[in-house]
Amino acid sequence: MAQGPVSGAGGGAAGAPRQSPLVLARPADAAPRAARLAWHRINRVQERLLAYALILPVALLIVGLIAYPFLNAIWLSLTEKMVGYPAHFVGFKNYVTLWGSSRFRIVAWNSVVYTVGSIGAKVVIGLAMAVALQKAARGNQFLRGFLLLPWVIPTVVIALTWRWLLDLYRGLVNVSLLDLGLIKAGFHWLGNPDLAMLSVIIANVWRGFPFFGVSFLAAMQTVPQDLYDAASVDGASAWQQFWRISLPSIKGVVAIVTLLSTIWTLNDFNIVYIMTRGGPGAATHIFATYSYELGIQSQRWGMAMAASMYSLPVIALLIVFVVRYLHRDEAAS
Amino acid sequence: MSGAPRRIFTIAIILALAGALAPARAADVKLTLWRLKTYIPPADKILDTTIQDCAKKIGAEVQIQTYTFDDMWTKYTAAIESKTLPDIAELDAVGPARLANLGRLSDVSDLVGTVTKELGELAQNAEGAVKFGGKFYAVPHYSNALLLFYRKDLLEKVGAQPPDTWEAINEISVKIKKAGILDYPQGFPWNRTGDGYDPAMSLLWSYGAAWVDKSGKYIGMPKDKAVQAIKVATAPYLTDKTAALDYLSWSGSGNNEAFMAGKIAFTPNGPSILFQEDSTKHPLRKDTAIKIMPNGPAGRNLALTFVMNWGVPVDGKNQKEARAVVACIMSKEKFTAYMTGSFQQAVPLFRSLLSNDYCKVIVETVKLGRPVGWPGPTTPAAAEVISSNVLTDMLTRVIVDKVTPEKAVDEANQRIKEIYDRLPVK
Repeated sequence: MAQGPVSGAGGGAAGAPRQSPLVLARPADAAPRAARLAWHRINRVQERLLAYALILPVALLIVGLIAYPFLNAIWLSLTEKMVGYPAHFVGFKNYVTLWGSSRFRIVAWNSVVYTVGSIGAKVVIGLAMAVALQKAARGNQFLRGFLLLPWVIPTVVIALTWRWLLDLYRGLVNVSLLDLGLIKAGFHWLGNPDLAMLSVIIANVWRGFPFFGVSFLAAMQTVPQDLYDAASVDGASAWQQFWRISLPSIKGVVAIVTLLSTIWTLNDFNIVYIMTRGGPGAATHIFATYSYELGIQSQRWGMAMAASMYSLPVIALLIVFVVRYLHRDEAAS
Repeated sequence: MSGAPRRIFTIAIILALAGALAPARAADVKLTLWRLKTYIPPADKILDTTIQDCAKKIGAEVQIQTYTFDDMWTKYTAAIESKTLPDIAELDAVGPARLANLGRLSDVSDLVGTVTKELGELAQNAEGAVKFGGKFYAVPHYSNALLLFYRKDLLEKVGAQPPDTWEAINEISVKIKKAGILDYPQGFPWNRTGDGYDPAMSLLWSYGAAWVDKSGKYIGMPKDKAVQAIKVATAPYLTDKTAALDYLSWSGSGNNEAFMAGKIAFTPNGPSILFQEDSTKHPLRKDTAIKIMPNGPAGRNLALTFVMNWGVPVDGKNQKEARAVVACIMSKEKFTAYMTGSFQQAVPLFRSLLSNDYCKVIVETVKLGRPVGWPGPTTPAAAEVISSNVLTDMLTRVIVDKVTPEKAVDEANQRIKEIYDRLPVK
């Protein structure tokens, strides 16, 4: 009796399993060795071809949408490329020029302040939100949905809204503070260099904290209730329960959410561009807005690419951390 | 004839008849036109109607796309690289220089000649932005004059005359503040918008601090003159405290809103404030006045930044039709209709129309205008000085970062030199 297909797929309704058109029938055990070897060889080739065919669409997408633009950006950063003119290879000249530019150093520092400030606040507020929602007995579902609103509102709307809220004369913040008699003159939220940075960070935090909160909450809900019950019996306070049980249990999620958000924030553009355009002066200029100024307004693509590439080592390092962390979690589970 | 050939013959006859009897096809020529979306919608509507009428006249279809001042170069940059510029492109003051230098604009000297015959000679000061190497690469459409807006009621309250110099604006602002009328009456935003870089050029040039010679070659801003200009511009922020730091972060419409909200007494702007106040019957309309931008020790050298021009990019396959549409838009009948319906936004740049009864202050402003890169012609390097915000950065370095005016001038000159070294004047 001839062997059925080895693919394991199929299994007809009656009698012999259905033969896949892609898989060659296995020769009988009694067949000559050469025939069996040939079958194995052909089968291996067929399987490989099938595998390649299956990954081809994804590979094309990765090459076309990620690898090509990325490699092209690296190439452009090594050239003197003005819009409309051919690119000339200049090696690391753009990087060196930027490094020597005091303006770029301000931009790099601003990017660090903006990212660290935003992420730090988002972690703290996100944790508070998660703990509060976990404790909330009533309206939990409604609150969760409601608090997610900033996350789903388009960033442009958020930036414009905050711009209006912080306006010197008509902004709700200044008007409220003045009406309450808490201040005598409105704050120059977007004009004072320090307050301007604080303002864009506030807008970014407001947009991003729900993502942190919901992610942390989801992680907290996987922590067994027994642990909290046992801790309560032992007399642990709410703070001790949070510090000794909740936080260690969700540290993986905290790390991943923080790292992912750091990458997004380092590449942020909309909030800063709409609220301050990088001003006053260069007080809130960050990598993305500076690259836009160089690439689109000044038409210096090579320099713009080099400016944005400066954040690449940090982002690459963070990606490595995220991937390793995910792998470690996978292996542990 | 046997069966098969007869059937083929019959089908061919039917197809031929169907073709002959079919209604006339839509226009074969399809044009794309990009234009600026201005702050005056009725003017935009008139222009769109004109464009469609002109296209219909020559049997073409035209698809109009718009951009704002803010996203203009985002759109053009992508199109330059992908070689997809439109058939007809409305370009700002520096657009013709940038695109012509890349060899991406057709020579339209003949078209300018045609327009000139009907509308009169082109204003000399508008030539620098569109004429390179003796050839015209764009047809000037109109200029949107930047004016000094002021509150005449507030000036009367403090017994001041309308200011004619930068110093006078500062002095009156101090008086208004001291009288307790407004905290921050001086609304000159030295930021990354046209309301920042246009007055910055006018200020520097009126103090004799141009950075090029007449041929357009870099010579650097004379330090003493530039420092003098910087001191005048930064005093309201640093010493007089008559300008709020928040003004530095205004968007393009921020000063319009602040003026109409009654929070400032002075601001530079195009005529759109007048349009907004007129159309909304604004209570401040009766107290709003305009004046030519201030004079300086070196004269009144106003930047002619908001000049719009029609270019015919070489990318277009329908050059003849594109030129015909531009000629039609610029015909006396069509242009006059646009001009009169633009609420003084569109100031003509051809002499026969410049000498009519159009608002005298606005016309005078355009007559005194200097092209970007003055006293030389507009060049790609001059364009980049503006688009890189070098001039307004120089002022905010002093206001925000508290560097000395001397250091700010040195930094700006260094940046400008680097730009001119990279983009030498041809």
